[in-house]
Amino acid sequence: MPFVEIEGKQIEVDEDGFMVDPAQWWPGWAHYVAKQEGIPELTERHWHVIEFLKDYYAKTGIAPMIRKLCKESGIPLKEMYELFPTGPAKGACKCAGLPKPTGCV
Amino acid sequence: MSEVTGLRQPKRASVDLFRKLGVEPVPDNEKVQMAIRHIDEFRFKVRSFVMAMESCVKCGACAENCHTYLGTRDPNNIPAGRVDLIRKAYKRYFTVQGQLFPGLVGAQDLDLETIEKWYSYFYQCSECRRCAHVCPFGLDTAEVTMIGRQILFWLGIGPQLHTATAGAILRTGNHMGLTKAGIIDTLEFLAEEIEEDYEGLKVEFPVDKPDSDILYIPSSADFMLNANTLKGAAMFFKYVGANWTISSEITEAGNFGYLMDQNRIQREMVTRLMEQATKLGAKKIVWGECGHGWRAAKMYVSTVSDLPASRRIPITHIHDEIEAYIKAGLLELDPKRNDRKVTLHDPCNYARACGHADNMRVIMNAVVPKGAFVEMKPNREANFCCGGGSGILFDDPDMYQFRIQASNKKAEQVRETEADTLCAPCSICKAQLYPMVKEHKLPVEVVGLVDLVGHALVFRD
Repeated sequence: MPFVEIEGKQIEVDEDGFMVDPAQWWPGWAHYVAKQEGIPELTERHWHVIEFLKDYYAKTGIAPMIRKLCKESGIPLKEMYELFPTGPAKGACKCAGLPKPTGCV
Repeated sequence: MSEVTGLRQPKRASVDLFRKLGVEPVPDNEKVQMAIRHIDEFRFKVRSFVMAMESCVKCGACAENCHTYLGTRDPNNIPAGRVDLIRKAYKRYFTVQGQLFPGLVGAQDLDLETIEKWYSYFYQCSECRRCAHVCPFGLDTAEVTMIGRQILFWLGIGPQLHTATAGAILRTGNHMGLTKAGIIDTLEFLAEEIEEDYEGLKVEFPVDKPDSDILYIPSSADFMLNANTLKGAAMFFKYVGANWTISSEITEAGNFGYLMDQNRIQREMVTRLMEQATKLGAKKIVWGECGHGWRAAKMYVSTVSDLPASRRIPITHIHDEIEAYIKAGLLELDPKRNDRKVTLHDPCNYARACGHADNMRVIMNAVVPKGAFVEMKPNREANFCCGGGSGILFDDPDMYQFRIQASNKKAEQVRETEADTLCAPCSICKAQLYPMVKEHKLPVEVVGLVDLVGHALVFRD
């Protein structure tokens, strides 16, 4: 699998540029992905979503259902798409170091 | 919209990913030879393949009946033309005429360039079988796509999407890689939602419950995208007092193995299914909303599982279960709760492969007000594919553009109904149509059928 170098670290990514090992996550990764996703700056709201996703993934091993993410983070779906233009399942999960969703999505 | 006739291919899976599935990719200089050997094996094993190779007269009936060709106008997307990508090699190596006079009978040496075309076109075909439905010879060209994809898989060529999904199957038994902790947490969330939305109604979602009569097999996508389908199923089971459970080992109605590797990955899913159903003591397996998965379950499980008749467990679809209760007059439904103008998209694998069309209409007519259900045309077994069939839900820009084109016909059908709701009771259809209705600017909401049932059920103490 390909590697990318960010801040001097070698990070293994999949074909879609998602991080392979979530344990390698650090804030520099989120900044790197944000730039790729066309997000000019990571605001407090972005970090709120990223932290929520990371916590949820650490607890359950999956990404949360989008409705749950919106309800429990308090960020409505419309704003979620404003924050992460490619959507919570792709853009936000990628920033948070979660794997790309597979199957019928 | 621009017409693309070049070679477009979905993003490929890496060598590592294939190795995780136990496949060592074949080096380029051996691919052609290996592919010919596989074709040789298939011609002795699969009769429908030989028929497609030998009997097509290029009458052209399939062309205008294929949504992929209608959307792209690429001659290689005419079903007969797509089959030709293999047929030329078949004739060259396995027919006397092709060996002696290749130029006269359309026979051609196989080369790497053609194998690249296989990868492009067998993953533009959605295996919807509308071409088979109209073929005067009854040739099932989808069988050729399936064989093409299987050979590509053995060579180590496959989309990232399908291959990564196969990896998730081996790891967790479902396409999305759901863990037991994730499954339980999501279901608790859904139970809370039901309680909030339906006046304190308490619905349980049992997971891995021993001694269950019914093992319910939801689509794993219901845990991420189609929550209302899952909720509708639980509300139905609660209503009829079923002793049911979901298994965390096989939380998947789909079977991507069937779409790419019928040899091993498909078998893995079936083995898990039978093991878990037996372990939980299930007397019946009830399938959730998933088109290709229902065909794989209804038509293939008994042969793929290779179990003696005495150990088989009946498999039914939740639509059949609901239909039976409606016909027996055992469900109180309030159609006014679904005050919508709704049209029904018949998933190809239901209507063309499983005779699954009347049951959906019985349900639809019971859950929406009289006159609110409008048929799209054509419908039932003549319906057009959503454009995402067989999991070609690729998001790389070129292939995404293709998905929009491949759903042109569907958009036209839906628009004509003037409906505000598009019921598409299959996870692949839903995943294709959620973005496609936006791309085609259709003012409809995409829902499942069980969703509408759950919403219409009248619970009394």
